[in-house]
Parts: sequence; structure tokens; C-alpha cells
Amino acid sequence: MGGGRPTGSHAEVHADEADIRSAPPDDWRDAVADLLSRGYTFGSLHATGAPDAVELRAAFIRNGGFQMVTCRPADRHAPTIVDLVPAADWDEREAADLSGLVFDGRLTRPLLKHPGQLEQWTTTVRGRDTHQVAVGPIHAGIIESGHFRFHVVGERILRVDLQLFYKHRGLERAAVGRELSEALGFAQRACAACAVTNSVAYAHACEQALGLVPSSDLARARTVLLELERLYNHLNDVGAACAGVGFSPGSMVFAALKERAQRVNQALTGHRFLFNTVQVTRSDLEVNPQSARAARVELREIRAAAEDAWREVLFHGSVQNRFAGVGVVTAANAITLGMVGPVARASGVGGDTRCASPRLVYAGFKSATPLDPGGDVRARVEMRALELPATFDLLDTLLEGGLGRAASEPAGEPVATGMAAVESPRGRTFCTIERSGPAITRLRLRTSSYANWPAVALAATDNLLPEFPLINKSFELCYACCDR
Amino acid sequence: MRGNVLAIAVQLSGLVLAPLLPGVIQTIKARLQGRVGTSPLQPYRDLRRLWGKRSVAPYDSTYVYRLAPSLSAAALACAVLVVPIGASTIGWLGSDMLVPIGLLALARFSTAAAAWDPGGGFSLMAAGRDLMFSVFAEPLLLLAFVLVAIGSHSTDLVQMVAAAGDPHVATLPAHWCAALAFGLVVLVETGRQPIDNPDTHLELTMVHEGPLLEYAGRDLAMLQWTAAARHWLMLVLAVTFFVPMPAPVPWNLLTLALGVAGLCALVALVETSLAKMRILRVPVLLGAGVAICMIGLASWIAQGAL
Repeated sequence: MGGGRPTGSHAEVHADEADIRSAPPDDWRDAVADLLSRGYTFGSLHATGAPDAVELRAAFIRNGGFQMVTCRPADRHAPTIVDLVPAADWDEREAADLSGLVFDGRLTRPLLKHPGQLEQWTTTVRGRDTHQVAVGPIHAGIIESGHFRFHVVGERILRVDLQLFYKHRGLERAAVGRELSEALGFAQRACAACAVTNSVAYAHACEQALGLVPSSDLARARTVLLELERLYNHLNDVGAACAGVGFSPGSMVFAALKERAQRVNQALTGHRFLFNTVQVTRSDLEVNPQSARAARVELREIRAAAEDAWREVLFHGSVQNRFAGVGVVTAANAITLGMVGPVARASGVGGDTRCASPRLVYAGFKSATPLDPGGDVRARVEMRALELPATFDLLDTLLEGGLGRAASEPAGEPVATGMAAVESPRGRTFCTIERSGPAITRLRLRTSSYANWPAVALAATDNLLPEFPLINKSFELCYACCDR
Repeated sequence: MRGNVLAIAVQLSGLVLAPLLPGVIQTIKARLQGRVGTSPLQPYRDLRRLWGKRSVAPYDSTYVYRLAPSLSAAALACAVLVVPIGASTIGWLGSDMLVPIGLLALARFSTAAAAWDPGGGFSLMAAGRDLMFSVFAEPLLLLAFVLVAIGSHSTDLVQMVAAAGDPHVATLPAHWCAALAFGLVVLVETGRQPIDNPDTHLELTMVHEGPLLEYAGRDLAMLQWTAAARHWLMLVLAVTFFVPMPAPVPWNLLTLALGVAGLCALVALVETSLAKMRILRVPVLLGAGVAICMIGLASWIAQGAL
């Protein structure tokens, strides 16, 4: 059984209030602007409802509290909010592609429906000696599908146009009509590397809709899983950046550490990628004190080895030469694009969802701050290393005494819509669910990769073409998160 | 034929032994990274596998594309036979120092032209970079040769090797300058880190691998052999010029074998301990090599050799 550690007062747990109000199409922009002026940041936007009565819903977040504005566009025409919230660009394009909405006041390029003509999705670049380089959607490595269209002069990138969304799986659509607990699998399998984050975000959204809050033991189990996920992802990402510059000792050591972390996952939960470890309204994960003790010993060894390995990378001139000053995203651009997670913090833009996560055990958590928030590859890789100590500390504390079965507790009135934000290894993942009784009517998962992809294109601009793989690896985003 | 029969036999066997060198480097690299790695004979297995496969050429490609593998392989085969071993050479193509430089340029030209022929983005980009590097690497190779040639008063490789075998050269600053510059040339010509990463699958970063992307079967086998022959050529030249070699042929051959093995280990060590450098810094590095050669040249002038 779990140790039952105190995890913050109940008043804190109730902090994640969720307010929903509808606005007529004419007031839609004003309602959004009002929320932004009150310090809310954009979370997610989606279209919902029957084809003849599509409704637009935008969710915003501030200090773990949610606000949603909805609007029923007249005649399928809705005013755009992309000038107020540039981060909603992909969301609006996705809504246009999936629900046939027309957004007035903007150029809506297709996102999911790939146009045949190049002119429809790339920017025309004219000038002497400019040419295009096409990469993908089939790559030489084991990577998912993504097409990159580079406009270059010599080796310099003028602009990159991304075409992702190649393998739309219809996961969100397939979840519709299923029971809340059954539909969890669809959210989870959106992406293997963020399986826990996606599941926890979904479970939180469901529990919020059901008027439940997690017990402290449930919150503890989920926090452990989230941090285990962050651990193996961060170790992988540092190694990937080393591989990007051909520094094989770094990539090999971190690959080995990631393997050790995944073996800890296997030992604790029975799955290397932590699949099927999260349930809606409860947790079935049991870790006896002996395995918890063994995991803590192994994690301490991994920590020491990771610190040694990172020191080697940090003081290796030829590696740091490649990292520094490459693929810069300024803080202003990071805010505009709505970047999230370690890559945003590397640009000096704070905002770690963990600091305000009343449904998880992050009381007193302070997010790591970069020593020099340059927004370049160096800062992004360093951010991963800087976040590891907190993860190791949390795991060491929370695993003490093992984990037991736990359930959520009733705390409020059930509602139809639930929202949740969870910090994945790549940043804030936002999940919205709508339900009718026990069945899902709309699931929308906006992962951290989805939020950060546009920044990759921006970071690559004005860099050399051979630096692009490194810039891409410093973000290490997921293609499958687009192919929901 | 000039010189010892045994040495000439080793020179001829270079055509067969060449793939051993990249194989040895890969094995040592794997060990340095804590992996078991492949056997040093792996390149031979790859060549056998590829040789049994059909060649496929892109649609729209012409004879320029199809000729390139045989042309570069032939150029490197000739170059291997020009470089003397144990101060002996078969001598079919003479032994002037300009011949291997020209043959290397011919091989480079043929693969670059082959990249232009079907016009694939990655091959073109990589071939362009290769040509950009060669603008700096070729003069560097020539200068390193010239520094050695001044000492022997001849551009004949056999005489240059004989002169380089003299223990007295170790006291010449020019000789050390040439050795340093030649080390850089070895890294460029063999496509090794920090200049190029031979193990990468990232097309956008490729230099030497890029033009090979579209090739398959026997064509690819020939191009891979060409890359291996480049290793043989550069490492053998490096050892014969810059490692003191005893004159008796068996000892000379033993020193050569040990020297080449040592250089393989050195290349593996450099490749493991350094990340690949930024592509536009490579010309700067090679420029530094040229500057070193100029210092060597100045030292010859100071000694009154010119």
C-alpha cells in the first residue's frame, strides 16, 4: 500500500475551476481578447457538433484554472482569432479542414487535406539563385512521415514550409460514442513517447467533467508515471542532439541511460513505454516497497551517470561549437507562436504547467531556469539536462514506500465538458472532452508537439541547410501527435 | 617495374586489401563507443552482397551517371598502382606525384557530374559541397607534395619516398609542416570526421555519401570500393612519407603495415572524440593547412633550397 503522503490541501485541489460561456459570433473576438487581457493563455481550439450545427470552442488557461468560450458560427462563417492568438493558427486550419468552417479575415491554408499544388501550401520565394530542396515524407532513418520544403540560396535557408499530418488516423473521431474509460486508449496511442501525458490529460479532463478529484495516492501514482516518462524522454533527447552533430560517445552513453530508464519503467509498470498504466477515475498500478526500493537505487545510479555524461557534453568544445548560436528562437517569437515546454523555457519564456497542477503532486515545484536563455540549440539541449535533477528528486521522494491502488473522490457537480493541461516532456499538452452521459461526444488532444512544430520552421530560418537536422533534433518533436 | 618484387606484390594487393581499412576503422570506432561492432571484414561482405545485385539507375539519367562508378573506381585503381610501396612500383602509369592528384580529381569530377545528371537534390547538394572542399583540399595536397618534393629535388614518387626515408628529414621544419597538412588532406579525402560523417543517415548534412544515394548494386559496390581505395591511398602515402621507414624491404613492409594500422586507430580516435564541424568552417581549417604549408615553403627558402 502507498505511504499516503500529504499532498497539499483540498482547497488547492479545487483551484482548477473551469468556466464555460458562449458568445455570439459578433462578440467571439471580444470574448477572446477579454480573456487574453486578463492574463489567460491560449490552450486549445476545436470545432464540435453535428455538421449542420458546428460550434467553435476555445479553451484558455491561467494558473491551473480554465476558461472556455464557445460560439456558434452563422452559416459556417466564423471570424478568425489568429491575429489575437497566432498560436491558434493550426487549430483554425484543422477546424476548417475537419468541419468545413470558413474563417473570415485570414488566409486559411489547408493543414490536414494536402493540396496537390505546391503554391497552395508553400510560400513563393523569388530571387537570383534561390532554389527548393524537398525532404521527405519518406526519410532515410526510422522517422514518421513529414515533408519539409526548403527555400535556399546556396547553403542558407530562407524559409521552410512544413507539411505534416500525413497519416491521419481519425483517433479523435473513433473515440466518439465510446465510454469514457474505453476511449482512453485513443488518447494514449496518439503518441508513444507521451503516452502517459496523453492518458493523464485525458483522465483529468474526464474526472473534471465527472466532478471528481484525484485522491492523494492517485495523484502520486500519476506524478510518478509522468516523471518516469519525462526521464527517459529527456535522456533520449540529449543523446539525439549529440547524434545530430556526429558525437557518438555522447549519443551512445545517453542511449544506454535511456535504455536503463526504460528498464526501470518495465520493472515498475510492466511496460517500457508505460502503456496502459493510467486509468480514468482510478489507478490500478501497484508497486511493492521492494521494487520501489530497487528502482530508487537504480535511478540514483542513472542520475550519477547522467550527470557525468552531461558534464562531458557540456565541456566538449567541438560539440558546444555546433550547438551555440544555431536555430535561435527569440523570446518574443516564442510567446507569439505559443511555444511550450523546455524549448520555450530555453528562449526565456517561463510557464511550466507543473507549477500549477492541483491534480498532481507538484506542491512547491519550481521549474528549472536556463543559465543563458539564448533560445538556440545549446539552450534547448541544456534545458533537458537542467530539468533532470527535479525529476530525479520527485521520483526519489514519491516512490518511497511503493505505490498502491487508488481512486478519485467526488468533489463537485458533474458537467458535460472537461479540460486538462499536463506538462509532457515536450511541454503543455491540452485535452478537452465533451460527453453525453457516459459516452464521449468529442475528444480533442492538443499535444506539446502540435504546439511547437511551427517554431521549428521559424528556428531554421536563416541557418545553414546542414544545420537543420540538428535544429530539428533540439526540439525532438513527434510526428504522430499530428496524425491523430 | 622498378624495385623489389615482394613490395610490388603488396602494391598490387592494395586493390584487394583497401576495404580492410574502413573496416578496421569502423571496428575500432565501435569499441571506443562501447559497442561490439562489426568485424573488420564487413566491407567485403557488403561488397559481395552488392555485387550480386542488379544496378538500378534513375529515370532520365544518361551515360554520365552510369559511367561514373566504373570511371572513379578505375581512377582510384590506377592511383593505387602509382603510389610506390617499399620504394618499388609496377610503373605502368609512371610514378609522378601529379598523377594521383589528377586521378583523385578525375574521380571527384565523375561523381560530381553523375550527381548533376539526374539532378537529385541531395546528391547535387553533397557534390557541390565536395567540390567546394576540393577547391581548398587539392592545393593543400599539392603543397604537401611539393614540400616533400623539394627535399628530393624530384616530383617522382619513388625518389620522394627514398628521400623521405632519410633519417635527416626529421630535422627539417618543412617536413613536419607537410605532415600536418597531409593529415588534414587525409581527413578530407577519406570523408572522416570532423570534416564529414561517414555514418550519417541525415541527407542534408552529407558530403561524400550524398552522390552515392541513388546508386545500387554493382555501381554502389564500385563506389564503395572507391571510397575504400581512397583510404588506402591516403594512409599509405601518409605512412611512406612521414613515418621513418627502414630500407630493407621486409622491415619496410612491416613498418608500413604497423603504420597504416596505427593511422586507422588514430582516425577512429579523432572521429570518436570530435563532433562534425560546421560545414563553412571546413574551408577555414583547410586554409590553416595552406598557411602551414607556406611556413614550410618559407623554411625551405630560408635554408636556401629554392
